[in-house]
Amino acid sequence: MERVIGGILILTATCGAGYVYCKELNDYIAKLRYLRYTVSLIRGEINYAHAPLPEVLSEVSGRIRQPYRKWLRETARALSDRSESSFSRIWNKCVDRYLDRLDLKEVHSVLLKEAGTFLGSLEKDTLNHTLQLYLNRMDLEIEKQREGLASRIRIGRWLGVMSGLFLIVLLL
Amino acid sequence: MEKRENCRHQVYDALAAGIRNMVRHAAADDDRLEEIRMRTGQPLMIRYDGREQILPAVQQPHIVTKEEMRETMDYISHYSLYAYSEELKHGFVTIEGGHRVGVAGKVITEQEKVKNVQHISSVNIRVSHEVIGCADPLIPYIVQDGRICHTLLISPPGCGKTTMIRDLIRQISDGNEYIEGCSVGVVDERSELGGCYMGIPRNHLGKRTDILDCCPKAAGMLMLIRSMAPQVIAVDEIGSREDVQAVEYAMQCGCRLIASVHGMDMDEALRKPALGDLIRKRVFERYVVLGCDEHPGRIREIYDGRGRSLWNG
Repeated sequence: MERVIGGILILTATCGAGYVYCKELNDYIAKLRYLRYTVSLIRGEINYAHAPLPEVLSEVSGRIRQPYRKWLRETARALSDRSESSFSRIWNKCVDRYLDRLDLKEVHSVLLKEAGTFLGSLEKDTLNHTLQLYLNRMDLEIEKQREGLASRIRIGRWLGVMSGLFLIVLLL
Repeated sequence: MEKRENCRHQVYDALAAGIRNMVRHAAADDDRLEEIRMRTGQPLMIRYDGREQILPAVQQPHIVTKEEMRETMDYISHYSLYAYSEELKHGFVTIEGGHRVGVAGKVITEQEKVKNVQHISSVNIRVSHEVIGCADPLIPYIVQDGRICHTLLISPPGCGKTTMIRDLIRQISDGNEYIEGCSVGVVDERSELGGCYMGIPRNHLGKRTDILDCCPKAAGMLMLIRSMAPQVIAVDEIGSREDVQAVEYAMQCGCRLIASVHGMDMDEALRKPALGDLIRKRVFERYVVLGCDEHPGRIREIYDGRGRSLWNG
């Protein structure tokens, strides 16, 4: 009886691990999508209100969820306080500090930082193009992530089950 | 008082970190600081108490670097030059507190029209001074039978025209011994009257004042008449034919009007293409000529609508 219970527990644990892995894969794409959505809101607000970045970021922060909200609110605050000599330094610092919870891959973090490098010093048309370029690249990245998703989820699930069975055989 | 302190801080906060303290130390009394001038590769200068000073006063002059100029422009524009492109076309940006920042650099033109100013090499920050009560001597002359007369303020640049009109707005809005407080609509095209930040005025404009910030004067006056039903409309620096037409329209809608225009005296105002016609029609009931021979904002002359002198300073 004890062996059966032990076996069930092992199988549940490894299947759970497989499930968590699959969920993380799905969540990561959702994070990228939400990041893209946030930047598209920033772009829309710049075009609509033609307001300075602290106002734009503060306005957009009210329409999005955490931790993106805190990221934009704190960036807007740092810009209003003129805490650094250039926009890119504030942007990069805030991306590192407030989006670390997202566990973005290096490539996606760099992409976001690149978008902010010249944001403050560009005129409106170029700014628009820069943000559009970021959105396009994010579309590609999301697509790239989604391409292998189905097979990776299948692998994740099977690995959970199979590793559980393997452990049961090994231990019992 | 605290509000004014903040307004002064806004001037210092707009300067590059390397020169901020230098200016702060040199301008011991904030109220006497008039201008800060930065030119790339040239010494940093301020105009303090009516005199030009090169900073720092006791050591070698500080030469303004390209990096300091970029940093200052970043601070002035809140790291958002794109948001100020329209203002830059006209050669200046107004920062919170109503301080005007004039710029010069490489002008980009398209079909002989100014498109933008790039590579900014000169910056002139004109510190706005809110002088509460400066319109006290003027109020008795522009109030008749408990209502405000259509008034035109005439003054050369830098002689306190905006400061005077700002205090007039405040007094009319709040009311005083000559007039009951009434609703005032302000069209603040250059954000100098209210010094608005996110739509909220930083200067004292009174409790019955509605302000349209960054709005073209002609369109703004019509918007206010339709939407806010102001008893008095105030605009600064009218000049174009559209402005003058809107002024005339506002007067015909039952609003009292207070406006200002650049000029040395009545004759110069009369010679202005569109405004001259309006003056000849005698639509204004008072003309106030300001000068800065003794101090900015000195009232030199007040005339009635027929050009008769009511007061001569």
